[in-house]
Amino acid sequence: MSKFVVTATKVTLNGTDVSSSCARAELVINAAEVDVTDFGSAGWTEVIGGLKSGSVSLDFHSDFGVGAVSALFQDLVGSVGTVVLVANNGTAASATTPEYTAQVLINSFTPVAGAVGDLSTFSVTFPTSGAVSYATA
Amino acid sequence: MTDISAIRAGLVTNLLTVPGLRASAELIDNPNPPIALVNIDSIDYDLAMSGGLTQYNVVITVIVGRAAEREQQRKLDLYCQPDGDYSVKRAVESNRSLSGVIQDLRVLSSGSIGSITINDQTYLAAEFTVTVYA
Repeated sequence: MSKFVVTATKVTLNGTDVSSSCARAELVINAAEVDVTDFGSAGWTEVIGGLKSGSVSLDFHSDFGVGAVSALFQDLVGSVGTVVLVANNGTAASATTPEYTAQVLINSFTPVAGAVGDLSTFSVTFPTSGAVSYATA
Repeated sequence: MTDISAIRAGLVTNLLTVPGLRASAELIDNPNPPIALVNIDSIDYDLAMSGGLTQYNVVITVIVGRAAEREQQRKLDLYCQPDGDYSVKRAVESNRSLSGVIQDLRVLSSGSIGSITINDQTYLAAEFTVTVYA
């Protein structure tokens, strides 16, 4: 395996492939810090992992065509959707192109954005709901 | 994948809506003014995942005639107008999808307004910068 340049992260939303309208994809998985510092910590703080959480951030090019990405998001605000990301320019899950699946709360959408002369784009960041799964096959 | 020659052809079709203006999809040695020449200046790939968007930076050179002729200068002024029957910008943007060949386009600017020399002949010309998303 080697380092790679991102050109083709596969992005699907509720089963619809929106990769060709997506300019950036990011999945972040966190664990909360729980402080367990006590008198036995020898003057240092001690932490353990708490609840896990995550977020999915995506940058899109606006497109209101039938079935296109803007039209797709229009009716989903307020609902929980499924985002699947295949890393490393892959098209399907494999050991070198892992596939991440997350339930996300679609809590915002910016249908109109951009200054005069700009390519119309919009960015979204959704919190994950439940576990983020990881597949290599 | 968008065929570059189809972009050139679509731009020529739009340019031909300017009354009396000729247009060529390629650069030519002996232009017969008034004529617009379409040239792909540069291409920016991978603006979206999986080749979903490519930006073509196009330069359209409009040559109107001998530089010394005042009538040609007035004609070039008409071509450089942001709107009007002879406006190159309006003509190029008259069909912004090039009949479905591309996603969108915009004429950003006109510049290099002045004389150019082709085959020892000095012409009056202007360059129009066009961004094409496909």
